Amino acid sequence: MKKGFFILVLGLALAAAAYVCVYFLCTSSARNLEQSSQPELAWLKEEFHLSDSEFTRISELHAAYLPRCAETCRQVEVQNERLRALLAATNQMTPEIESAVAESARLRGECQRNMLRHFYEVSRTMPPEQGRRYLAWVQERTFMPGEGMMRDK
Amino acid sequence: MNTIEPGNNDEALGKLLKEWRTDAPLPLHFQEAVWRRIERAQAPAAASVWDTIADWIGTVLPRPALAASYVAILLAIGVTAGWTQARQETARVKGELGERYIRVLDPYQTPRQ
Repeated sequence: MKKGFFILVLGLALAAAAYVCVYFLCTSSARNLEQSSQPELAWLKEEFHLSDSEFTRISELHAAYLPRCAETCRQVEVQNERLRALLAATNQMTPEIESAVAESARLRGECQRNMLRHFYEVSRTMPPEQGRRYLAWVQERTFMPGEGMMRDK
Repeated sequence: MNTIEPGNNDEALGKLLKEWRTDAPLPLHFQEAVWRRIERAQAPAAASVWDTIADWIGTVLPRPALAASYVAILLAIGVTAGWTQARQETARVKGELGERYIRVLDPYQTPRQ
């Protein structure tokens, strides 16, 4: 009886140990990505198989783009606030609303142009095949989000 | 003081029982209930699930071939479960980081305060 119980417990303990070992071993790359100083860039390096020099160059481009992006973010926020206030104050189209809508569209266009420039620069830094894959991936998520939603359905 | 001799015990008891009368009514279905209890007491106790499992663990599991198969199967289950779970977790983390990369670059996908 004792021997039987020993085998029973041994089997369960080995299964649990195997689960834990394999899980930690196979998630180590994801854990390393999460624990890096810039997880999203570390992910980019792994996902698009970048060399160290390509990664350094892309990190520089990324760092240079971020302040411009933050400024656009601030402008978008201000413009959204302005449009929200105008829309709340009336129930019909006014010249101010028209101009605010046009300004929002202009901002969006400028933002998209900046983004696209950055994406092209980044893709040119990557090996050609990875660059094409990167461009297709970012464009799908930034310029064609509707298509992504339709595809997900 | 005992006035009945040991050899006459059954005879005396039988006589006494024949003379004994009671007016108290028996409960409803008394006789059937008594028989049921007798049958229950005589029936061999059915083995419980736990007894069966314990018996199996004590006698069948220690057989070398079965023990080895049991340990190997559980080991395989542990490895497969760990690998499957890890794959899902890795895919989730990578998917999240990809979305984070896009949110960092696209002001229109940056969460608003």
